[in-house]
Amino acid sequence: MADDGAMKMFVYSFVGLGVGVYLFFKGFTWLREKRLIENTPTSKIRSLAMGRVEIFGKVVAEAKKKIKSPFSGADCVYCKWTIEEYRNQGKSSRWVVVKEGVETNHFNLQDNTGKVLVDPKDSQLDIPVDFESKKLTEPIKKYLDGEAIKYKSWLGFNKSLRFREYYLAPGDEVYIMGSAGDNPFVEDGSAQNNVDDIMIQKGKSDFYYISDKPETAVLKKFKWKVLGGFLGGGALIVVCLFYIFFFIGIL
Amino acid sequence: MAIGLGIIIAVVVVLVALVFIGYFVGIYNAFVRLRNDIKKSWSNINVLLKQRHDELPKLIASVKGYMKHEKSTLAELTKARTAFMSAKTMDAKAAADNQITSALKTIFAVAENYPNLKANENFLQLQSRISGLENELADRREFYNESVNTYNIKRESFPDMIVAGWMKLQSKEMFKVSEEEQQDVKVEF
Repeated sequence: MADDGAMKMFVYSFVGLGVGVYLFFKGFTWLREKRLIENTPTSKIRSLAMGRVEIFGKVVAEAKKKIKSPFSGADCVYCKWTIEEYRNQGKSSRWVVVKEGVETNHFNLQDNTGKVLVDPKDSQLDIPVDFESKKLTEPIKKYLDGEAIKYKSWLGFNKSLRFREYYLAPGDEVYIMGSAGDNPFVEDGSAQNNVDDIMIQKGKSDFYYISDKPETAVLKKFKWKVLGGFLGGGALIVVCLFYIFFFIGIL
Repeated sequence: MAIGLGIIIAVVVVLVALVFIGYFVGIYNAFVRLRNDIKKSWSNINVLLKQRHDELPKLIASVKGYMKHEKSTLAELTKARTAFMSAKTMDAKAAADNQITSALKTIFAVAENYPNLKANENFLQLQSRISGLENELADRREFYNESVNTYNIKRESFPDMIVAGWMKLQSKEMFKVSEEEQQDVKVEF
């Protein structure tokens, strides 16, 4: 039994080593992204130029482009939701995602100088949980029935489920680091203002980031990610190597 | 025992060296990016300067008939436009831009004295278009100055100054607004 446990730890050490190496090298990517955010001044929307841009403003949505979030029914322009079930696995128990979904639409971002169209597709969205419930409300039941997800166990009791929504709603203040490119919905040369012919999207640079936090908070988060990547990843590599070498008898 | 410990110490040394090298490579790349961003933001100002420059002959043509007593103001604008056309360096273009902005402010202020001109549809359209370009130019000048400021601060900060010294980077000048432009336009009624 003790050998089984040691063997399990040996296998876990290899997994940990892999995770450590990944985190360590990811630290360089996060450092690069942090510097990019730090070194790019925020543009005013009316004078946006093509290429990489950083903007900050309020989400504005046309009535027909609003999405209804499935559980809380909130109006939004982007919504990600998860359904988790509390499951027992051996001695431990944890929340397991049984269903998740994303719905998104184009929206406008407005600052005090103008507004610009944003396509959030393929972006890294950094949004906290906006809605969480463990109760089976009517809209939730309706959604579960529509998706043919069973919420009762075979004994007839309700399962232990958790419903979460992460969304961007009209009026939310949003930070975007992305690429200003051509707006495909406006014919070239027909725009009244230059900015009308621009759409914020994922460009050639692989970094497209949308957050509902201000730039200072975004930078703080990246600082911790960089430290976590280098220090956490490095420490994990060393600890796992210790265990592997100890297990194979060279330590 | 010694082999395993030796490997772990070597791994720690390699990881620390990687972070150290990666950090300085990152600083180098950030300087390259900043230098190019400054060039690009200057080009973006130039695009708008060119657009405004193209609107000036239309503006002069539309106001010439009305502003017979403002020949010196129009001459000043024409002179500034010519200066912009012949400007080769960034400083010369910036100086010509300041002259044009100042002359335009005077023309738009003086136009208040000419009700017929104020009622002219063509003039109103041009005024709106040029004012829009002026606002965009102001934003882009501000953006350019912010880029230059970030670059200059990094160039003088530790440890970035080590890489900046090695790259022989020089500090960059901000886009300055002329004394004339900082003053309010005087209009005599």
